[in-house]
Amino acid sequence: MKLLGLFIAALALQGCASVGVEPWQRDVLARPEMSLDASPVDAAIDDHIYFSKEASSGGRGFGGGGCGCN
Amino acid sequence: MSRFGADAIYANTCRFIVLAALAWLPSLAMAGAEPLDLARFRGKVVVIDFWASWCAPCRQSFPWLNEMQARYRDRGLVVIGVNVDRERAEADRFLQQTPADFQIVYDPDGVLASRYQVPGMPSSYVIGRDGQQVEVHIGFRKDMRERREAELERLLSSGGASRVQPQ
Amino acid sequence: MSDDRNLTARLAAATCALLGTGAAPVMADEAGRWSFDTALLYYGENDDRVQDVSATIGAKRAFDDERLLNFTLSADTLTGASASGAIATDTPQTFTSPSGKAVYSTPAGKTPLDDTFHDTRFALNASWTQPLARLYTLSAGLGFSTEYDYTHLGANVSLARDFNKRNTTISAGLAYSQDDIDPVGGAPVPLSQMRDVGDLSNKRNSDSKDVVDVLFGVTQVLSRTTVLRVNYSYSQSSGYLNDPYKILSVVDGTTGDTILRAPAPGVAGPTGVYLYESRPDSRSKQSLYAEMKHAFGAPVLYGSYRFMTDDWGIDSHTGEVRLRWPLGSASYVEPVLRYYMQSQADFYRPSLVQGAALPAYASADFRLGEFDAVTVGAKFGHQTSAGNEWSARLEYYQQNGTISHEQLIGNQFGREQYPDLKAVIAQFGYRFGL
Repeated sequence: MKLLGLFIAALALQGCASVGVEPWQRDVLARPEMSLDASPVDAAIDDHIYFSKEASSGGRGFGGGGCGCN
Repeated sequence: MSRFGADAIYANTCRFIVLAALAWLPSLAMAGAEPLDLARFRGKVVVIDFWASWCAPCRQSFPWLNEMQARYRDRGLVVIGVNVDRERAEADRFLQQTPADFQIVYDPDGVLASRYQVPGMPSSYVIGRDGQQVEVHIGFRKDMRERREAELERLLSSGGASRVQPQ
Repeated sequence: MSDDRNLTARLAAATCALLGTGAAPVMADEAGRWSFDTALLYYGENDDRVQDVSATIGAKRAFDDERLLNFTLSADTLTGASASGAIATDTPQTFTSPSGKAVYSTPAGKTPLDDTFHDTRFALNASWTQPLARLYTLSAGLGFSTEYDYTHLGANVSLARDFNKRNTTISAGLAYSQDDIDPVGGAPVPLSQMRDVGDLSNKRNSDSKDVVDVLFGVTQVLSRTTVLRVNYSYSQSSGYLNDPYKILSVVDGTTGDTILRAPAPGVAGPTGVYLYESRPDSRSKQSLYAEMKHAFGAPVLYGSYRFMTDDWGIDSHTGEVRLRWPLGSASYVEPVLRYYMQSQADFYRPSLVQGAALPAYASADFRLGEFDAVTVGAKFGHQTSAGNEWSARLEYYQQNGTISHEQLIGNQFGREQYPDLKAVIAQFGYRFGL
């Protein structure tokens, strides 16, 4: 099972090699609002609110948790 | 581990392509429409620096490139910045904020960038007096400045056509 | 470089940043400077339930060569009432407060809320990020938080490697945390009955839990305007996982009414039979999370989806969409829509039946029940001529719960069982650099 996972990961990595842009074509991706971590404080606040109100948390990174609210 | 082996092969292939492209460049330059006419700089040490307005380390590299150009111009150093912005206005704005005391070539369609297979932003190609590429530096880190200056010193001192080994 | 020139550069770059005209993101990580991201948050629920006011300061200092130091400090003050887990009845109910020193009451027909909640929480997180080699990035962090009845200590480390001309980034991370719980009045023995005021015989001193999180992520540039991230995470919690303030009503198997009791003579105490909840002492969660950003010219669309499943029987789906729309040259508006749904935990039950065998685990905490939730709102941001940004966001959050009919008994059908939760989230933020 693990081997299969590893194999799929390796295959995906090879597949990814043909997707993407050249280094000199990153103009749009370099815009601050295109960063997937553009608003870390908003994300931390959301994680904290939803952690205390719902049974699920995290996923994005090591967010949420660390509070006695759940 | 095989992944890293593949990377090495990939890197070598890229280097080969770049060297082949460079060997091909002087003849291309004869065509006249060539924006980057390296034949003109035979006998000089040339730094071809690919940059863009949206690239943060590029902004850090400009003061250093200016300094190198000023310090070694008399000894035969030519710095050429190749801008890859799609919009000329963006490059101009960057240059207003971060002036370049070296010549700039515009490559809005990435023709030169793809010919050189630029591996990252910025990328600096260092070419010896004999027209041979010596090294490609990917990225700009302040702690590399001294080593890169030493490399230029060596190339400028070597005077003739002898090829300097990259470190 | 002179300071003047530097300042001009920063001003110009900051002005362009919002236009998407491609100036370098100077505000982001300029070496040798501090930048701050601050927020004031108000979170308020309907019916005088939880109100939370918090202040957060994120401070970031970039060093040469893409090294980054990050601090986040936050303080919040929580007041208001929270559902205790007991069900509504046709008569008023009285409960012993968690401290064991007083009682509180709930009117007839109302879902019991424990209004003794007041807490202040301080949290500090610090992290350091730096490249290890050209294609590797290492990040390590420490976290600490404290509140009246809870202390959290955590550490995390992650490593990322870029492939394919940095179009693909693979990362792996590990986090560990150790939390100490010291509830007001002590941690109740699970499934023990709520006692009269002054009787703490079912309370222990304190307890703890630890959590291990493992995360694997792939970030992939799909095109010049699209980037995708997929994370898999596994989380294992063990130790004391109860909410020490949550109870269940013990009811008659036919009428569904709460069994009544009388406090000892001369002492205040609960008027019904209530047992403290009991959750398993371990929980493993797995989640798959995907998020994407796509630029349509200047506007940017963000979408994310998360699937989570755990060994308590809870599955959840979360979807979120944001659209950042520029207004003029220096402002933007960003509407957001979030949808969440979860199934209930295997041991979730609105009440316990008198005389029936006690299950090993039981909780009436609505957060472990089945519900869905919607968030709608918008954020507005404006960049000042000095390159700083202020923003305001206003969101509305609503939960709609469902209790399956098999879990309701007799008179319970006619009463409010799962009060919808409605909340307003208002936030004011200011980002600036020094």
